[in-house]
Amino acid sequence: MKKTNYWKILITGLLKENPVFVLILGTCPTLAMSNSVTSAVGMGLAATAVLICSNAVISLFRKFIPDAVRIPCYIVVIAGFVTLVEMFIHAYLPELYKSLGVYLALITVNCIILGRAEMFAGKNTVGKSVLDGIGMGIGFTLALLAMATVREVIGAGTFAGIEIPFMIDHKIEFFVKAPGGLMVYGLLIALVNVITKGKAIKKKEFNCAGCPSAGVCNGGCKANEVKEGE
Amino acid sequence: MDTFKTLAAILLTSVLVNNYVLRQFLGICPFLGVSKKLNQAVGMGVAVTFVMLLATAVTWPIQMFVLNNLGLEYMQTIVFILIIAALVQFVEIFLKKFIPSLHKSLGVYLPLITTNCAVLGVTINNIKDSYGFGESMVSSLGCGLGFMLAMVLFSGVRSRIDESDIPEHFKGLPATLIAASFVSLAFYGFEGVVDNLFA
Amino acid sequence: MKYFKSVIALTVICALVAVLLALTNSITAPIIEENASAAANEALLVVYPDGGDFTQLDISTYELPATVTEAYSASNGGYVIKLLTSGYGANMVLMCGIDGNGTVTGATCLSSGETLGYEKTYGDSLKGKTVTDIDGAETISGATMTTAGYKNAVKDALNATIILGGGSVDIRSEEEILNDNLSEALPAAEGKFVSWFMVEELENVSAVYEAENGTGYVLVSGEEFIAVDKSGAVLSTVSDDVKATMEANAQLIINSSIEEIDISGYADMPSQVKKVYKTASGNYVFELGANGFGINGDHYYNPSGKQIELKASATKDGKIIAVLTTAQYETDGIGSVCADASFYTQFNGKTEADYSDIEGISGATITTNGYKTAVSKVFEAVKMLEGVA
Repeated sequence: MKKTNYWKILITGLLKENPVFVLILGTCPTLAMSNSVTSAVGMGLAATAVLICSNAVISLFRKFIPDAVRIPCYIVVIAGFVTLVEMFIHAYLPELYKSLGVYLALITVNCIILGRAEMFAGKNTVGKSVLDGIGMGIGFTLALLAMATVREVIGAGTFAGIEIPFMIDHKIEFFVKAPGGLMVYGLLIALVNVITKGKAIKKKEFNCAGCPSAGVCNGGCKANEVKEGE
Repeated sequence: MDTFKTLAAILLTSVLVNNYVLRQFLGICPFLGVSKKLNQAVGMGVAVTFVMLLATAVTWPIQMFVLNNLGLEYMQTIVFILIIAALVQFVEIFLKKFIPSLHKSLGVYLPLITTNCAVLGVTINNIKDSYGFGESMVSSLGCGLGFMLAMVLFSGVRSRIDESDIPEHFKGLPATLIAASFVSLAFYGFEGVVDNLFA
Repeated sequence: MKYFKSVIALTVICALVAVLLALTNSITAPIIEENASAAANEALLVVYPDGGDFTQLDISTYELPATVTEAYSASNGGYVIKLLTSGYGANMVLMCGIDGNGTVTGATCLSSGETLGYEKTYGDSLKGKTVTDIDGAETISGATMTTAGYKNAVKDALNATIILGGGSVDIRSEEEILNDNLSEALPAAEGKFVSWFMVEELENVSAVYEAENGTGYVLVSGEEFIAVDKSGAVLSTVSDDVKATMEANAQLIINSSIEEIDISGYADMPSQVKKVYKTASGNYVFELGANGFGINGDHYYNPSGKQIELKASATKDGKIIAVLTTAQYETDGIGSVCADASFYTQFNGKTEADYSDIEGISGATITTNGYKTAVSKVFEAVKMLEGVA
């Protein structure tokens, strides 16, 4: 019983509550970093690392952190891990550091991470929180990978920099540019809708209700919407 | 004259060419979330511009005179996000107490701004591009106005989408994203304009 | 109490994070720095593959050509110079490697607004050039502005390495050199001179410059610059012979006065002659209009439809003293050469008998012929005015 529980936590993030296609979180890095497979995977793994670490630390200290200042505390912890990851990438993977650019620092305000801290890690044990982090992180990475694959193969005729015969001569640059990102994202969400027959995102509009960080913005969204979202 | 030219180029570039929302995907969440109605879009736009300017005015001197001098450049992200969060709180309290009418119209958007990546993005980018203080302020103003422009334009597009007959699975977010794609495509028309204007 | 606890919690977390980051930074910072300098070094190796390690030089202590923005010295004695120069449309940022012997090892364009793309490959053709033969490097026709700008920048780089190596190079332009020479001869003029058109026959003088503030003249005699004051006394230290000659010259200059004469009575006066002046000493000065490419050329290529305007002075026995182009509308870079001193000073001292050996401008036959014809009309006009058959 307990085992299945853990397993469930892990795979929830992969499919049922995929942060990108179902929860519609972390849209900024998803769109910006999905124009090449390499940077998409880099961004996904960097965010996963931050997510796991921040989930672990926040759940560890959840009893120590007073409710009133929990959001600033979460932000500090997350920003700390982001900087940590940033330093390591800068030192050991300078190429990746260059391609991620400012978006690496912006993992701090990626709503997946703050959202999971607020929704999950602040209320659960360390073990569960780490699993949740792994699941959500991998779900985020896979979603980025899926989008990046579509965009890079059609838009640049390559996959992770490897040229694909035929596609390389017939690339449609639109897809690696900004408008292509928005379009592919829209089409993929529609596809998820078709596959799940609309169950996963049952009439879910993009608003505060669908935003787990709604709880963060105390009063930013209408109170009832926040409850619904949680 | 040259300074004026540089500043004008920075302003136009950040409003039209490197539009934060439509070209760099910074601040997509509020762009999709709060662009349903024109008055909401304007309110959010004004609030974001204001916070961007305020945040830049505070973070730039701190980076230049405190972090750089102490060799603490690596604390940039943490310090900046804390400053932004604190500023937003401060502005909210200030408005609530002294200008309740403005707080009523802008207040609801303020808390959302803390986690708006456009604000953190613009403060970090200003340092990355090694802008001076004046240039940083102009670039922040441009980014804020660009954000507002995108929001206002898109709120118009969105009202049309909501009225039209869309295939079942495209309803909601997918249709919105595809419409945003076309608005973004339109902004590509500005590419090269600024360069040629000030060449 | 609750408030107190919140503050403590936040402070503790901030402190913990800061300590963690400081620790990490102490590990990663040296690696990041090493990476950065390796990357910078690699970029420099592109133009100087044998350069080894580079160190940036402080160029503010040297007087280098204005195009030089950065300089690096290589561990084996060479240099890499970064330059900013203008091409056809916008600025080009160039990088040029030069070895210890002053030979170009490579040049590349880092960024440019050029349209044709020649700047991307042109650097390769400059490989192996030195300061002595860089001027001879061919430019690409059709991209002259881009490639000439490129070449001159690389020349600046070569000069810069000589200066950095402790040598000295004249980096002044021709006009600057002339002005410096004139100022040295006559400091009272405060560096402002205008060319004086020679209407008198002066002995051993090729050009005269007048101080704008009226303090005197500078006479160019061979390689020498001889200053005279406004009363005609020689200021420069010269031998007595030269002094006497120059004082005589100076009197001619100071006393020269010209007056326009009416030519309406001469029905056969050539059409090129617009106006005629006579000097007190009996010389003539003509204002001429030459039918160059603007008149006789293909109007598709040069639609100006205007003559070349020039001045010529001659003695009463038909010897040309000086010629000067005052305005021209010829094709830029081709016929426009008629405004260069190297072209029109050829006419100085010519008579009708030895007039034929004037050298034309290559590629501008129509311009040259029109110009030569116009100047040759001086001989005809002088005879007419002097009443010689």
